[in-house]
Amino acid sequence: MYVTVKKLPVKGLTSFLFLFFILLSSISVHAQTAEAAKNFAECRACHTIGGGRLVGPDLKGVTEKHSEKWLVSFIRNSQEMVKSGDKEAVKIFNEYSKIPMPSHPALSDAQIKDILLYIKNGGKVAGAGQAKEKSNVKKTEATETVSAVEHNLNNQREGRNNLGITALIMGILMLLSLIDLIFTHYLKAKWVHYIIVLSGLWVVGEWSYDFATSLGRQQYYQPDQPIWFSHKVHAGQNQIDCEYCHFTAETSMHAGIPPASVCMNCHSQVKQGKRTGKKEIAKIYAAIRKNKPIKWVKVDNLPDFVYFNHEQHVKVGKLDCKECHGDVAQMDQIAQVNDLSMGWCLDCHRKHKVQFVNNKFYAQYKALHDKLKAGKIKDVTVKMVGGEDCQKCHY
Amino acid sequence: MEKKYWQSFENYKKIRKEQASGNEAAPEFSVEGLDESELKGKSSRRDFLKMMGFSVSAVALVSSCQMPVRKAIPLLNRPQELVPGVANYYASTFFDGNEYCSILVKTRESRPIKIEGNELSPISQRATTAKVQASVLNLYDDARLKGPLKGGNKTSWKTIDQEIAAKLNELKTSNKEVILMTSTLISPSTRKLIGDFANMYPALKWVQYDPVSMSAIRKANELNFGKALIPFYHFEHAEVMVGFNADFLGTWLMPTTFSKQFSKGRKIKDGQKTMSRLYQFETNMSLTGSNADYRYPIKPSEESAVLLKLYNVLAEKVGATTYPGSTVNTDVNQVAKDLLKAKGRSLVVSGTNDLNIQLIVNAINSLLGNYGKSIDLSRPVNLKQGLEKEMMAALSDIEAGKVGGMLFYNVNPAYDCVHVDRFVKAMEKVPLKVSFAETIDETAALCDYVCPDNNYLESWNDAEPVKDYFSITQPVIRPVFNTRQFQDNLLIWMNNGVSFADYLENYWKTTYFPKQKKYESFDKFWFTCKQEGVFQSETDPEKLTSFKGQNLKAEKPLKNGLELALYEKISMGNGKFANNPWLQELPDPVSTATWDNYICVPPLYADKEGLKQEDVLKINGKIELPVLIQPGQAEGTVGIAIGYGRTEAGKVGNGVGKNVYELINTVTGFKNLLGTSVKIEKTSKTYPLALTQTHHVMEGRPIVRETVLGSFIKNSASGNEEHEEFLKNENFSLYPEPKFDAFQWGLSIDLNSCTGCSNCLISCQAENNVAVVGKEQVKLGRIMHWIRVDRYYSEIAENPEVFHMPVMCQQCDNAPCENVCPVAATTHSDEGLNQMAYNRCIGTRYCMNNCPYKVRRFNWYEYVNNNSFDYNMNSELGKMVLNPDVTVRQRGVVEKCTFCVQRIQEKKLAAKSENRELRDGEIKTACQQSCPTDAIQFGNLLDKESRVSKSNETKRMYHLLESLHTLPSTSYLTKVRNKEA
Repeated sequence: MYVTVKKLPVKGLTSFLFLFFILLSSISVHAQTAEAAKNFAECRACHTIGGGRLVGPDLKGVTEKHSEKWLVSFIRNSQEMVKSGDKEAVKIFNEYSKIPMPSHPALSDAQIKDILLYIKNGGKVAGAGQAKEKSNVKKTEATETVSAVEHNLNNQREGRNNLGITALIMGILMLLSLIDLIFTHYLKAKWVHYIIVLSGLWVVGEWSYDFATSLGRQQYYQPDQPIWFSHKVHAGQNQIDCEYCHFTAETSMHAGIPPASVCMNCHSQVKQGKRTGKKEIAKIYAAIRKNKPIKWVKVDNLPDFVYFNHEQHVKVGKLDCKECHGDVAQMDQIAQVNDLSMGWCLDCHRKHKVQFVNNKFYAQYKALHDKLKAGKIKDVTVKMVGGEDCQKCHY
Repeated sequence: MEKKYWQSFENYKKIRKEQASGNEAAPEFSVEGLDESELKGKSSRRDFLKMMGFSVSAVALVSSCQMPVRKAIPLLNRPQELVPGVANYYASTFFDGNEYCSILVKTRESRPIKIEGNELSPISQRATTAKVQASVLNLYDDARLKGPLKGGNKTSWKTIDQEIAAKLNELKTSNKEVILMTSTLISPSTRKLIGDFANMYPALKWVQYDPVSMSAIRKANELNFGKALIPFYHFEHAEVMVGFNADFLGTWLMPTTFSKQFSKGRKIKDGQKTMSRLYQFETNMSLTGSNADYRYPIKPSEESAVLLKLYNVLAEKVGATTYPGSTVNTDVNQVAKDLLKAKGRSLVVSGTNDLNIQLIVNAINSLLGNYGKSIDLSRPVNLKQGLEKEMMAALSDIEAGKVGGMLFYNVNPAYDCVHVDRFVKAMEKVPLKVSFAETIDETAALCDYVCPDNNYLESWNDAEPVKDYFSITQPVIRPVFNTRQFQDNLLIWMNNGVSFADYLENYWKTTYFPKQKKYESFDKFWFTCKQEGVFQSETDPEKLTSFKGQNLKAEKPLKNGLELALYEKISMGNGKFANNPWLQELPDPVSTATWDNYICVPPLYADKEGLKQEDVLKINGKIELPVLIQPGQAEGTVGIAIGYGRTEAGKVGNGVGKNVYELINTVTGFKNLLGTSVKIEKTSKTYPLALTQTHHVMEGRPIVRETVLGSFIKNSASGNEEHEEFLKNENFSLYPEPKFDAFQWGLSIDLNSCTGCSNCLISCQAENNVAVVGKEQVKLGRIMHWIRVDRYYSEIAENPEVFHMPVMCQQCDNAPCENVCPVAATTHSDEGLNQMAYNRCIGTRYCMNNCPYKVRRFNWYEYVNNNSFDYNMNSELGKMVLNPDVTVRQRGVVEKCTFCVQRIQEKKLAAKSENRELRDGEIKTACQQSCPTDAIQFGNLLDKESRVSKSNETKRMYHLLESLHTLPSTSYLTKVRNKEA
């Protein structure tokens, strides 16, 4: 059964203010160090640039404090440096409650230097002049509003309910008109009966179709979670990269619900939220103390006979999380945005282009490559490489 | 008169009889399992209303149901190596006291779900057996003990430790013997530990006990070479192999290793002129016998005489001493000729546990110069160390009241001892009885204390199956229950203070680390050992004296009477795994019987005595078993499998078959499976047997194609002429020609390498969540295995030629099943796979009817969470073995082999993720992975360089029933028998 939908207290402000700042900040992370900005999204979980200390130190001016070489090796693997007894590294490690900074073996020297440049510029692209910190100030206010996405979700859900009520009313009207037509003959103009019955059939038919197709599906499902966790705060306001918490999205079929230890990366320091106070965050501590995992309610569900792989879609297909999960960064409580039906999957498989030229795996599709070269086809969609086969998802 | 077809001998006879008497024969389809109303074909108005009411309310109920709330529960603290949804593999070792195998364990979300062979092991060489494959299910056995027991009641480890340690000390002071009875132990560290334990309790006597013994080989080698050992055999170095009652491809000593070795000589390419040859002299039709080029049925009492005759013929030719023997009819001249031609490149083995026989075998091998070549005495095999005399001494000690305590580890003498009654009675005299069994077995039921051992997948251990070849067992899951490893118990009772894991590591640090030069630090060495699972030390080989001839003598063959030949089945072995439903339902590769043991009776004898299949016979007036008419069974003998008739195995294994251990032949002091004289009498009862194949002939269709080596040398296409014929014909089809881009998956099966060991069946079952259906359903032909190993006989029934042929979905490109599906549940993929979408199937079974290969299976029942099918899928614990990547099918849908599409998808994704092309050989189907003879190749047919394409590049290649123009993606290679034409 559905868990009742809890509505959050709505403050009068619209989300436009928030959207405006999002827009502003997105302009600033653009141009030549766009990659650095993206990479820094992960750092943001623990660091600010001039926003004060979080789990890790404020990075403002860090490039002046340490040599570039030192920084590069520290970012790559801080623990190795601590173990090898580097004085500065040990000092920082002890100062920040001995919470190790995750190592980043995948980042190249150039990428790290790029990030350092990004930090040096105060979290903006070299050359572009927009102020970024300002947006942080206003965000707190903005998150307490219902975002456009949430508004839309509510509308959709209400729309469905409205259709049900309309269908019920039309049903009763139809019944009354039928009774009148056959027995009471109150209305003499018979065409009125016919119109009522016909339009009633239409509405009831529409509702039945809608009801029948939604059986076993959970579009707009928005259950209460054991912890009032807001993606709007984490992914929206704090701009934590999705894959910081859902870190197996590129390596496994499951995107993964983060273990409580990942929460603790930040919440060992951040002990109080602006909206829920200490109450919700304390639940993480309780879980760890009692050694009982947090039982999140799964929102996006697929039937057991469907095999879905995140790695295939996120890493290989380079899909953005939003394309299936909606604009999560604007939702407090996560809701299922799409109906996740087979038709929905196939629609995308028919339209979506695969990384045909970029990925060497597809070099084996010789006939398709020939067609592409000959100009017979413009793009290669998922369908053309077997994306409509049953056994891509059902086995 | 209408033409009648028959399926088996009985059918045939019945039809003939009825035709003679003018009665119409009963229809052959089975009506078992149908209701009375269904038989009559009528249903009343009330039934109709009931059904309609039910349907309407069911629909109403379903449509008003809401979706269940599903939870996503992450770990509190994720171990770094654990990624949900990604499998981890750990190297480990399987050893059940009998059989050794180096393995990789596939774990998902930290639970083991599949066993694969370890490629790095020079001993088992990526091969496994059905038992090894099925062993993962034992971990999730409901019969496993949940904690220690005292007098049958639950207790704590603390109580156990205090009381047992106190009693052991009491026995120490009262100077009474304590016997530790174990299976053969090949773990050097455990042996060391037992030594330490014995130092502390000097009254401890350690007895190794094997239910099926091979001590005669050890004794013979002691007499011939001065050291009691079992040598390491190299079948790959033998061009002529002669087996005497040694089922070395199935159950004898190291079947994994030997199958691999055997297959090396059986791979044959076009134009090749030589191939190894296998002679088998045996009583029962064994798996090895069914693969022999020449097979001679002999009685157990004739074996020594035949061997001596062979020896004498050889000795005469070479000019060595001959010995007087008894006369036997068996012709050995051809074998002798071949053996002499292949001196030093041949091998003679016997599986009979009889000293005289083993001495003759050694003498023959010595005559042929096989020592140092195909027989390696310098690397002895450590399996099967149990000696009968030790066990007998222990038994008489117990009976004499000298023994104060008995500790049982990995043995079950109350079930598999020859003198069961004596043993059980004697046990009453022992004050302290402790068992370390995982489940309450027959012996544990007699014990005061049961200290349940961990499953091997939860344990630390090491193994030295062959001298200087080591492997490691490491836990892949934390103990599921409150159990403790046997070795840890000893350490605790010794007050040692270290865990066995540390003890093991320490032992390796001091013993084996110095014996290698590759690694400088122990940590690295130990890590590599655990990662690779195997280690080979560099020590001097065993030094032995040269061959010392012994006086050879042969037994006089018995003229009359019935001789019994007991044997081990591939599935059940010695009965330790009786509670494993996968193994119980594994059809025997020769008899195709499941779920039972039975008396194998030769056809002529059955005719003479008027015995029919399933008639119940009484053996020695005691044991009642049904008849199975076994072509190839030696005249004057009957065969029965041991390992059945467990009474305390668990819900699956209890009461399946009959226990025949007491019929072991102990006349010579060695436990010999062969040669007991038995009397059988007919009873009026019958007992149904569940065979998966009652049809033994091919109806004139060239299903299995074969040739002999001579013809093959002349023409590689010999035996496969129909394929050429087929290619020549113009094949007309209404359907468009299938075209593929990038991939077309194909499977190639070399019938010449395939021994029929049925390993692939269990591997497939574990990989693809195939349900166990039970004996009743097997009888109705509803077994669910996605692969079946068909067995055909040809030539005469007294000594037939046998074929084994694995048949799975052929993945036809012109698939007859696809055309008839009314809901498009089965369709063709862009990669040449014949896809089956379970969620779309409505169960019309049209596809099954239209499939010429009969490889589709229908779920007649819900096999999950159904008390009528109380096997692993009906238990929360048992369900943990399920592969999460494969759908568990529901009632009413058709299923079949998918070419392990989940593995295809996994490896394709890996290639995409790493931005590279897919490599050939990267994808291995479950059947291919576990095949000990590499008979199965899988790959991309479009890639002309792929292994499967290369394998198909021979004139031996054909498709099953290719004249139907189904264009299968599975191909077979002709069997070549190394016979004179």
